[in-house]
Amino acid sequence: MMDLWYWFTPWEESVTVIVATGTAAILFLRGCARSNPQFHQKLYFWTGLASVYLVSHTQFDYYSERQFFIHRIQHLVLHHLGPFFLVLSSPLSTLLAGMPKSGGRFCRRVAASKPTQCLALVLCNPVVAVTLFSGLIGFWLLPSIHFTAMIDWRLYRLMNWSMFINGLMFWGLVLNPGPLFSLRLSPGTRIAMMLAVIPPQIVIGAMIFFASRELYPIYTICGRAIGGVSAIADQQIGGIILWIHGAMMSAIGVLIVVRRELVPRKLLRSEQAG
Amino acid sequence: MAFAISGCLSEKSWHVKEIAGHLPDLNFSLTSDSGRLVTAKTYEGYILLMYFGFTNCDAECPVSMARLAHVVQLLGDGANHMRILFVSLDPERDTPQVLRRYVAQFDPLRAIGLTGATVDIEALTKRYRAAYRPRSGIGETDGIMHGDAVYIFDSQGQARLLATSADTDENLAQDLRRLLKISSWMTLR
Repeated sequence: MMDLWYWFTPWEESVTVIVATGTAAILFLRGCARSNPQFHQKLYFWTGLASVYLVSHTQFDYYSERQFFIHRIQHLVLHHLGPFFLVLSSPLSTLLAGMPKSGGRFCRRVAASKPTQCLALVLCNPVVAVTLFSGLIGFWLLPSIHFTAMIDWRLYRLMNWSMFINGLMFWGLVLNPGPLFSLRLSPGTRIAMMLAVIPPQIVIGAMIFFASRELYPIYTICGRAIGGVSAIADQQIGGIILWIHGAMMSAIGVLIVVRRELVPRKLLRSEQAG
Repeated sequence: MAFAISGCLSEKSWHVKEIAGHLPDLNFSLTSDSGRLVTAKTYEGYILLMYFGFTNCDAECPVSMARLAHVVQLLGDGANHMRILFVSLDPERDTPQVLRRYVAQFDPLRAIGLTGATVDIEALTKRYRAAYRPRSGIGETDGIMHGDAVYIFDSQGQARLLATSADTDENLAQDLRRLLKISSWMTLR
């Protein structure tokens, strides 16, 4: 029992992670009591929040720091899976309902303010969003940047937070029918955005997979967490995860948008009746 | 003046990985191979080469230790300002006596074995992001995983360089000479 508990203790405590997760959980719980979201919304929200917490604030983090392919799994959850589920649960109205009145007013005022609107206009531009999403994956995987991020704990945290926040932004933009900050993107544009992030991930994943030399020696230098996996094998598994699974999330996203918005309502209803 | 000097020196890049500013200053509390309680302060004034290993390791550790001893010898007089810290990842078996006998094979004067409580060793490996899992149940002694990093600290305990087995002895020696030169502006023992 003690052993099992040990796995859930943080490898490196982070007040930011505790406060962020705790705040989100409390707001959502309070919001549930007031606005009664649907069961699937709750399921998606807790799955998303729990997955992000588990990969970043448990002993799992030790393995992410010491094994390239586990680092890739961590980022798959932080950048894709976790934000994807969080966005699917459309948690904004529940979270706002969970806030004290003044907090809710403050959030609305910030959202309506000029600087926020301008920033949103730039970040929600489809080209910017796609570039940022793919660029961030590529940036942290540049060998020299990756080396420094893995050795410096401050950069390591910045890397993980930037991935998570960018994931929330991107999936929030493409999965939500909107409007977001008075901005409405057509389902076609949003599908195109999800398709546009596939090729960069395939290219980066394949480059890592087919590399014949060790691109990320930091794991050999500081030691790997799992014995018996060679440097190249570790690198290849990591490459595959980015290549296949990263792109797969786009495919699922496209299907969701098609089903939610493009299939005529009548067809869905007759399907359910049938 | 000092800025001008450091500015000139930093223009030329090091042969091995430079990590200044990315890893924290040296800090530990362990038992040395002479049985004394030692801390980072004990070795202030020396340029330190820190390596994690265990005496039962038959592959990487002896090779790395022999190499470090050789590189230190290449430095001539400068060698007296160097200390090689061999931190045991197997404190159960590596008692101070065992460690003393082990490190003396490589350099009885400048190599020092360090051991201690598992939590203290874990804290040190964690500080320098080195793989070590004493409590997971995975990786019993024979399978202790460890990297081949040599953490190099200046005479004030600041992490400066990270050398690996991929760096040649001559390159490492050159960098250490340069570090000695910079350190002589500070306080060398």
